[in-house]
Amino acid sequence: MARHSVIDGTAPLGVVIVGAGFIADHHGAALRASSRARLAGIVDVDAGRASAAATAAGGVPWTTDLAAALARPDVGAAIVCTPNVTHEPIALQIAAAGKHLLMEKPLTITAPSARAVVDAFDAAGTVVMAAHTHRFYDYARAVDDAIAGGAVGRPVFARLALLGGWIWPDWRAWVLDPAKSGGHALHNGVHLLDLVSWWLRDEPVSVYARGRAQTAAELRIHDYLEMHVEYARGADAVCEMSRGHRPSTLDRRDVLIAGTEGVLQLPADGWGSTVVTESGTSLLHPQAANGFAVQLDAWLDAIADPRAERAMTPADAVRAVALGVATELSIERGEPVTLDEVMEGVRR
Amino acid sequence: MSEGTLGVLLLGFAGLGPDQDHQQDMYLPAFGTHDGFEVVAAAGTPGDAADQAAAERLAGKLGLPAPAADLDAALADPAVDVVSVCAPPERRVDAVIAALRAGKHVLVDKPLALTAADAARVAAVAAESGTVCLPAHHQRFHPMIAAARGAVAGGKVGLPWNVQADFLVAGGTPSPAGELANFAVYPVDVVLALTGLRVRRVYARLSTYWTDGGADDFALLFLTHENGLTSTISIGRTRELADTRPAGLAVHRYRVSGSHGVLDIDASRPAVVLRRAEASSQTWHGAGTVDRLLDELHAAVSAGRPSSPSAADAVHIAEIVDAARTSGVSGHPVDLRSDQEGSR
Ligand SMILES: NC(=O)c1ccc[n+]([C@@H]2O[C@H](COP(=O)([O-])OP(=O)(O)OC[C@H]3O[C@@H](n4cnc5c(N)ncnc54)[C@H](O)[C@@H]3O)[C@@H](O)[C@H]2O)c1
Repeated sequence: MARHSVIDGTAPLGVVIVGAGFIADHHGAALRASSRARLAGIVDVDAGRASAAATAAGGVPWTTDLAAALARPDVGAAIVCTPNVTHEPIALQIAAAGKHLLMEKPLTITAPSARAVVDAFDAAGTVVMAAHTHRFYDYARAVDDAIAGGAVGRPVFARLALLGGWIWPDWRAWVLDPAKSGGHALHNGVHLLDLVSWWLRDEPVSVYARGRAQTAAELRIHDYLEMHVEYARGADAVCEMSRGHRPSTLDRRDVLIAGTEGVLQLPADGWGSTVVTESGTSLLHPQAANGFAVQLDAWLDAIADPRAERAMTPADAVRAVALGVATELSIERGEPVTLDEVMEGVRR
Repeated sequence: MSEGTLGVLLLGFAGLGPDQDHQQDMYLPAFGTHDGFEVVAAAGTPGDAADQAAAERLAGKLGLPAPAADLDAALADPAVDVVSVCAPPERRVDAVIAALRAGKHVLVDKPLALTAADAARVAAVAAESGTVCLPAHHQRFHPMIAAARGAVAGGKVGLPWNVQADFLVAGGTPSPAGELANFAVYPVDVVLALTGLRVRRVYARLSTYWTDGGADDFALLFLTHENGLTSTISIGRTRELADTRPAGLAVHRYRVSGSHGVLDIDASRPAVVLRRAEASSQTWHGAGTVDRLLDELHAAVSAGRPSSPSAADAVHIAEIVDAARTSGVSGHPVDLRSDQEGSR
């Protein structure tokens, strides 16, 4: 991976963060640690949040007007961390301004709009990448390395579970409103749907999913999702995404891949140290690469050389959205839903 | 025979594959070491010459009387209390029904029947006869699973709402009937025993990944149970693996999520793990799952009560397997009839 060095004289890319909420901090930290890019400003519809984040970042400029930020010549790109429903219009505005974009997942919440966003960046000749951060975590890369090395032959069955308890605030959280988040499949399900599709190196053809409002019957999203994906060459994936488990401290990653030549497992209890204290037992995560920093580098690589092979392509981002949409539809119908149906009239 | 010892007739020496003989590989050794049973006779399945030859050989080897001329004669033997049936699948149901009608208790190799309709015929006769008809779903007696059943029933995780299970065997001879027919009864029985909730809806995927033949060697079952509990079960036979004995379980686990907690059951434990120059292996002491299955058989016969699992449980599992087959072909979920509530 080509890293910028101080001596080659290239000015670091100026990046604005749009949406100064929870996940923006992680991107801000990655930018601070990078020599190839710098935080050039903060945009948020909420002036209080924008100014507070700008101050915390050492006094960078802030604004509530995205157009004004994009008009700045020292701003070459944006990282967008706003609620999912706003992704489409914000992305189109950034493409029109001729800037690069790292969009928090999901790229958008419908398949046609995801395609439209990708087309807009193609037309502008700038880079768009969706932040499917799990691809950049050590555990996911370890699994991918093993598969790439042929360790299990052709992978035919993948199981991935990310299980936890409640992390969202109260009923006012936009995530709980399907109109704003697209539903849990688009909000978090896409992480897993993207990861297993990447691991399996195959194209999804249909999804059968079941969902559950576990924490409260009144939830309009499914805080527990069980998603089965069938692939073109016959492989299967079973993904579970949960924010509905008890105890709420549960933090579980479980990976099982069966291939024609072997079996690969990340045991649920096998990737951290167990800490037993007066207040209970917990898992101490191992030191690991910062996934947000690795992701930032992958995005900067794509900007530096748009023709080079990408860690996460625009087509991957569209596919993840389509899988999320298929999941929500399948839960509603109680039947499998094909990607063909979801992508009807949408170029892949 | 001492008081309380039950005389056993070994009937049939076949299974769901050319080299499958659970009678001699599993049940005979377990009967041999169990205090409550004594093998008193062997017989081949009527109409199956190879099976009858196997019975003759075994009788000679064990010093048992020569196998009876026909099944009626074998079942008329008053020394026989229990018939252990491993008749070939297509003749199994008739053999079990004959044994039940003769007033004998029956242990049946899995699967009890290849279709739900056949299983229901057995269950109806078992209900009439009042004798024990125990399908050999022995994995529910695994020490990790048996303890978990108690924990769930005792409310340890609150109200269960989801179960995830993997039952992946490595190596051994693929079943020509497919691994859905061959293995599904085990994890499905465990999930039913853990939750006590019948299945209402089945969606399934059947694939062939490791064998050249046409039979499935991988199945995914997505089950929707009463009270909205969902379960997902993977079943398969992968290629052989260095650390798993041929036809041994490479992955065998269950996760039960409940309203108040999570229970992880790893059925590769309890184990002492041995590491040497060759692949590592595991060992443990104490009664195995088949020994515990025989404990249940003996207890049910002695108490004059139906066994658990019962023939009715096998019917429900056969319904699920039938539905999985239908769903695998159609690509759509299949709803089960819910008119069987009384048979629980
Ligand atoms: N990659 C990951 O692991 C990960 C984790 C959590 C969230 N996310 C994603 O990050 C995004 C943000 O999630 P969050 O949890 O940080 O949300 P948040 O609610 O904490 O923050 C959202 C911020 O966006 C601002 N905002 C809303 N509409 C805006 C608009 N039109 N223009 C500018 N600012 C606007 C809000 O005022 C708020 O400050 C979502 O797309 C979410 O899916 C990704």
